[in-house]
Amino acid sequence: FVQMRTKLNVADNSGAKIVGCIQAKARKIGGSIGDVIVASVKEAASGKKRIKKFEKESTKVKKGDVVRAVIVRARMQKGRRDGSHIRFDENAVVIINKEGEPVGTRVYGPVAAELRAKKFVKILSLADDV
Amino acid sequence: MASDSQAEDEEQEDALLSDEEEETEEEDEEDNVDVDVLSNEEIDALMKEYGNVVRSDPEPRKSSAEDANADAEALSMATALATAANEVKAVDIKLFHVKPLIYWARYFLIASAFSMPQVNAIVGRIEDIAQEQYGKIPRPSGKPSGWTLMDFDIYTAGDVVVHIFLPSQREFYNLEEFYANAPLVELPFVSESSSSSTARSDAEGESEEEMISLS
Repeated sequence: FVQMRTKLNVADNSGAKIVGCIQAKARKIGGSIGDVIVASVKEAASGKKRIKKFEKESTKVKKGDVVRAVIVRARMQKGRRDGSHIRFDENAVVIINKEGEPVGTRVYGPVAAELRAKKFVKILSLADDV
Repeated sequence: MASDSQAEDEEQEDALLSDEEEETEEEDEEDNVDVDVLSNEEIDALMKEYGNVVRSDPEPRKSSAEDANADAEALSMATALATAANEVKAVDIKLFHVKPLIYWARYFLIASAFSMPQVNAIVGRIEDIAQEQYGKIPRPSGKPSGWTLMDFDIYTAGDVVVHIFLPSQREFYNLEEFYANAPLVELPFVSESSSSSTARSDAEGESEEEMISLS
């Protein structure tokens, strides 16, 4: 379960690198894949590094911002209806705004397909692997 | 009469059994399942005769014929929805066949609208067409906003995903670059592009002149 003080990687290009969970919105016990959490940005990109020739790292989100995020990868396994489970080797989130729209433009790494049932199809369409 | 027939049956059964017993003594194979232990050959023979699947896959894989049907239906629905969007004057309508890239969708329909009321109109029109002609309801996916999304399921995988953008959002998220490897599907109408629609008012005067000169 992802709970308060859990550190999670950021899987998109919103500018944040690591966030720390403040509260899991879905359940009292904590969040898992597909749940929304409120988090504080612990580490963010400085904005000076260049990724491509004409593109710098985005700084939409700065260190210390309180943001909402969706858990897209979790170390704790999640059961599916066919009896299988899915778990990843890290905890990762995608930062979203209040309406549920992703702040970044690309999502890196695989994301769980559970997001579809939780109405985050936009993140699925930005992801490079589902 | 009944008892007679029964007696006859019994006699026949006895005769059969004795035959079988004779056979078993000679060949050591029997179909008589009263015996507790069956040899491997007997089990094989029984399986061959009576064997059947006890437990079957609850979700059997779609045969290729069914899959082709789903493909065709998805294509027809996607073109119908694209036509619907065109009628509401959406611009830059593109239909991508993303099945080779993604397993959870077959077609992406991307369109642009200029204002929120237009986005709502497109959403309403597409929902109506999908409901009337195909009986599909979009999966609920958030309120309409700068990037509005509608997710239609035909079978287990969502087959047509409709993205409606405001022009600024379309540039911001740049889905076309992300799915540039997906083949474009030709649409039965010519979609207006956003650049041509702004230039349309300038060009109207020119086209009238051309028509006059031709006639």
